[in-house]
Amino acid sequence: MKTAKQLNLTLCPKCHKLNSLKAEPQQCSRCNGKFYQRKRNSLQYTLAWNLAALLAFIPANLYPIMIVYQLGIGDEATILSGIGEFIDHGLYPIAVIIFTASIIVPLLKIIGLFVLVYKAYTGIRLKPDKHSKIYHILEVLGPWSMLDVFVVALMVTVVELGFVTSVAAGPAINYFTITVIFTMFAANSFDPRLLWDKKADKKSVIQAPSLSDNLSGEIPRNKG
Amino acid sequence: MNNKINTSLFVACQQCDALYDKPHLKQGQLAKCNRCGSTLIERKVDSIERSFNWSLAGLMLMLPAIMLPIMGVTLAGQFHQASLFDCILVLIDRGFFMIASLVFLFAIAVPIVRLAGALYISYSFKFNKLRPSLLNFFRAYHHLDNWAMLNVFMLGIVVSMYKLIDDTELSVNLGLLAFIFWLICSTMSAVALDQDYIWDKLEKAFAKAEVQDENS
Repeated sequence: MKTAKQLNLTLCPKCHKLNSLKAEPQQCSRCNGKFYQRKRNSLQYTLAWNLAALLAFIPANLYPIMIVYQLGIGDEATILSGIGEFIDHGLYPIAVIIFTASIIVPLLKIIGLFVLVYKAYTGIRLKPDKHSKIYHILEVLGPWSMLDVFVVALMVTVVELGFVTSVAAGPAINYFTITVIFTMFAANSFDPRLLWDKKADKKSVIQAPSLSDNLSGEIPRNKG
Repeated sequence: MNNKINTSLFVACQQCDALYDKPHLKQGQLAKCNRCGSTLIERKVDSIERSFNWSLAGLMLMLPAIMLPIMGVTLAGQFHQASLFDCILVLIDRGFFMIASLVFLFAIAVPIVRLAGALYISYSFKFNKLRPSLLNFFRAYHHLDNWAMLNVFMLGIVVSMYKLIDDTELSVNLGLLAFIFWLICSTMSAVALDQDYIWDKLEKAFAKAEVQDENS
């Protein structure tokens, strides 16, 4: 199967118009936007955003995310202890939803993107069809981990009865939003076409071993 | 390699870069990539008309959805209710600037801008008022694709209602209804907008870049 890259064509990421590659950055003949054949330094950017997200995820779990004041006495809860409270109260569906949205999804996304970057870089046991599906799922899941932030925002607003009961947001909420936004940036900067490029590269190396072996280890990256 | 390929006869997959002959689709048909299974081109039914109506309805619902109180609590004889707008005011008031700006951006600003953008684009197509600035406008519109989180906010409302119903008296207001309709309208207007069709039309209308290519 031919790819656009082999024929020296590039696809505009915004309007999906095929352009014949002249110079990088290429200007799209349809929407006049500038773009590169592959996202530039895609793997490095993904890795960097991902690491930042992972770092921010640590304080997000250690600090309290919500503080409930009842008659002036504060009760702090982290993400995990909040989920524990739901289980104690018997609110299992909510516990499952919150646990999925604020622990499983961010972790899955960070780990998944690390794996994808590793596979796209080394090409070890790379199955582009499977891995691009994984990428698609990770991309769709992203915004849903924002759930916890919205819940806390709503609780702070609605439960505001002066001295009797009020809710305050803890410092963890900031770290948590940073985590979520950084994972979204990481997913956006990953280019799934690199997976297919790598696979095609490996195949051509096997078919024609006379090509220099050093080239096969290099990421198909664009010069700017 | 032959550089004189007529690029308008081909399409490439956005996910895997595989190259195909451009299919001729009827309304309601879509073409999928053989290799990775993602959608190549989709031709939506009655796209302009639909997205115009949905986005108009969405913009009309915007004010009630934001200003009407979504839910209220009664606890120890005190009653307090909050709308989406109150939500932001309270958050700013109590010093949670980061969540306040996030809620404002993802649950108010981005959906409104997207609705207004969809309305403007479908309006220009409906009444045939195509301007070259639409190219830039529609390109910028795509930047917001990932950042509208009304559906997540809706789930947030459900979760916090579930939370509050346990130990307070919860009342649901008209604002929730308006918010749900707003969510439906903004989702539908984004779904109904047929990007490939719009880009094709825009290309035909302003094909000056193409002409320059052939001259050079």
